[in-house]
Amino acid sequence: MLEITDLHVNYGNIVALRGISLEVAEGQIVAVIGPNGAGKSTLLLTAAGMVRPRSGSVIFAGHISGQMQPEALVAAGLSLVPEGRHIFGSLSVAENLALGATVRHDRAEIARDINRVLTMFPVLKDRYRQRSNKLSGGEQQMLAIGRAMLARPRLLLLDEPSLGLAPIVVGQVYEAIQNLRASGVTVLVVEQNASRALSVADRIYVLNSGVIAMSGTSGELKGTAAFDAAYFGVSAGAGAP
Amino acid sequence: MLSNPAFRPLQTALILIAALLVVALLATLTPPAMQRTIVEAMIKLVVVVGLFVFVGNSGVFSFGHVAFMAIGGYMSAILTLTPARKETLLDLPGFLEALQLPWPVALLVVLVTVGLLALLIGWPLCRLRGIALPMATFAVLIITYVIASNLKEVTGGRQALVGLPRYTGLWVAFGGASLAILAAALYGMTRHSLLLRCSRENEVAAAATGIDLERERLIAFVLSAMIVAAGGVLFSHFIGTITANTFYLDLTFVTLTMLVAGGMRSLTGAFVGVALVSIVSELFRGIERGFTVGDTTIAAPPGLQEIALAVILLAILVRRPAGLLGDFEIGLPRRRASCKAETLTQQG
Amino acid sequence: MNFLQNAIDAISLGAVYALAALGIGLIFSIMRLINFAHGELIMAGGFTLYSLVGQPLLVLILAALIVTSILALGMERVAFRPLRKANPATLLIASFAVSYFVQHVVLMLYGSRAMGVPFLAELATSVEFGGLRVPRLQIVTIVVTLLLMGGLVAFFRLSRIGLQMRAAAEDFNMARLVGVKANRVIAFAFAISGVLACMVSFYLVAQTGSVSYKMGVSMVLIAFVSSVVGGMGSIAGAALGGFLVGIISVSLQAYLPVELRPYRDAFVFLIFILFLFWRPEGLLKSRADRERV
Repeated sequence: MLEITDLHVNYGNIVALRGISLEVAEGQIVAVIGPNGAGKSTLLLTAAGMVRPRSGSVIFAGHISGQMQPEALVAAGLSLVPEGRHIFGSLSVAENLALGATVRHDRAEIARDINRVLTMFPVLKDRYRQRSNKLSGGEQQMLAIGRAMLARPRLLLLDEPSLGLAPIVVGQVYEAIQNLRASGVTVLVVEQNASRALSVADRIYVLNSGVIAMSGTSGELKGTAAFDAAYFGVSAGAGAP
Repeated sequence: MLSNPAFRPLQTALILIAALLVVALLATLTPPAMQRTIVEAMIKLVVVVGLFVFVGNSGVFSFGHVAFMAIGGYMSAILTLTPARKETLLDLPGFLEALQLPWPVALLVVLVTVGLLALLIGWPLCRLRGIALPMATFAVLIITYVIASNLKEVTGGRQALVGLPRYTGLWVAFGGASLAILAAALYGMTRHSLLLRCSRENEVAAAATGIDLERERLIAFVLSAMIVAAGGVLFSHFIGTITANTFYLDLTFVTLTMLVAGGMRSLTGAFVGVALVSIVSELFRGIERGFTVGDTTIAAPPGLQEIALAVILLAILVRRPAGLLGDFEIGLPRRRASCKAETLTQQG
Repeated sequence: MNFLQNAIDAISLGAVYALAALGIGLIFSIMRLINFAHGELIMAGGFTLYSLVGQPLLVLILAALIVTSILALGMERVAFRPLRKANPATLLIASFAVSYFVQHVVLMLYGSRAMGVPFLAELATSVEFGGLRVPRLQIVTIVVTLLLMGGLVAFFRLSRIGLQMRAAAEDFNMARLVGVKANRVIAFAFAISGVLACMVSFYLVAQTGSVSYKMGVSMVLIAFVSSVVGGMGSIAGAALGGFLVGIISVSLQAYLPVELRPYRDAFVFLIFILFLFWRPEGLLKSRADRERV
């Protein structure tokens, strides 16, 4: 579904990614975890066509992301929920959802999908006609995911969906992510807060300073000393051979 | 001493002045019409260097500096015109009408007064952030223009003031341009310039690191207004007349084009921009004047010059947004050290 | 009575300023470009009327609308699209260049002298309302402006592309990430700004009866001030700013001592500078920002 090969990205003189390769298979949830500044957001922005790579390739379902406009990628089935959610605050919840369906023209189906989103996130139903900047952080995150779902993506990219949310809301968000996978959407999620992502991901990549430090299933990674040291604060010396 | 990186701007200035000297010497061999073009370019250089001191160092565009040209030009006119002419053209208070100063004294008086005026205008203006500051400078230009074209008693209103002593010849213009370059370079060597340049990328971050942005901007603003005013004085005494229309949007556009074309962050860029735009203008002016083939004269209609200028500016903005030279400064070979590198090492 | 007369003057002048400011504000809201060349769209409308003098009114109006819209789209395609990622200051300089370019092309073709154009001359007469004499042109201006603004509001509220434009105005990158076509919304914005500019040229030509290659400049300066006052990036703000600046201009004209009246514009711009200190973000923009916090 998504295949990234030897990807290098710069912002001017600042190197953000130096030779990343990763793969997301259809129907999987893949998590990329890593500390602040590791290049996680850059990775997603590049895949979504907002940032141009310096070299290497990003191929989404046969499309070359690095050469396409973001709006064309949305139409091709790739949606990004960026960090900080970026809902349109001056527009109503209804208008935000309607914008999610920008690339579609099947009115009846769109109406049905809006209903599905409202069933999934009932709180949006109560505030359907309100300006969306009145929503709480968690509600905004749900709106952002719902908006992305309305494009009927085959691949959904999520940038730090749990950032700044209360644990109970994080639970709801991840429940939604798992529902999405169940309905056939492939998910690539990026998180700084690893534990939640680990529990749902089929495959995990650890990104640090622009390179993939390690990868594997959560079972494979959790045992390794270096991983535990980095993400669970367990002393690396204790378990090392 | 000159190889010391701190003296780098001085090195640049001396090379540019030397180049200017060569141009001036060559100009003495050319016909008078060509010489006038070169003199005019040197005067524009004064203005653009003045503009560079503020725009280049602060990274903030000013659309108002031509106003200081107008103020300088009119003040110098009032100080140097004969009392008899002032009596017929203007309606000044008695002592100003009687006053007639030698031009260098008048120039000094203008510089000091404009410096104070710029301090007065810049002090509040430099508090503005973001796009509000360029907009306010725009307003200053328009206000100055409206006053200059209506205040008949002092400026003659819409009528031109004529009979200014035309002292700006090749060597006066050369001297003016050299001094302007030197002043810009000396300022470039100060701490004030360094701090201001460090604030270009991000004014919020600069303020957070303790740079007194308002003060640094104000210093550059005052110096730059004085240099630009000197350009206005030289220009008025080159043409010999002065009208409000001269110092408005078109001249603002031309001087900004010169600065942006060469590279607004570089003194060398200002020099190159003035040279480029002057050469292009002269070429197209030639075409507008026409050339004769047999019995027929082929001439382009007026306006071609300006069209060419606009196209060149657009092409540069698209192809080389930082100008032809970017932030390159001419000088002896050296290691590159930039503001960024210095800040990075400070942070460790 | 005198006050009412002034009020009507202020509203009709404000309406024209609002139309001009809307054209500038709309483009700025979507691509952070202060389009100085908007004045040349106004001028192009005027010269279309000049070139087709004698044709039926409908032909004149349609031709001018087409010319200004196409010119607006052309500016975007040739000059502004390659600069889409540039900062606002660079974009402003580029729009200066476009303005200078168009002005001098017209100078080349038509010369620098102002030329008379009879257009809507029948609107020069006045109607009497219980002692008030109101020029027909003012009434038409106010009515047309209100209709046009109502139409714009409906367009932004009800149409898909209108909604996409509002989204793009708020967060251009996010709009693209939901699939809004950047080129399409920008083209729409330019076409609408062309139409708005054309309305302003109708007013200017009807009022002054002449065209010249610099006719758009003073209007664009006022429009620019109006859109800043209203709040750059806010479409409603641009309209509000236009009316406000119109009211201030007319008040200054009416109540300044006679000897200071020639300096009216200097006062307008002085008030503008003071305003920048008070509310650099404009009237409406800052309110929206506060709500978000």
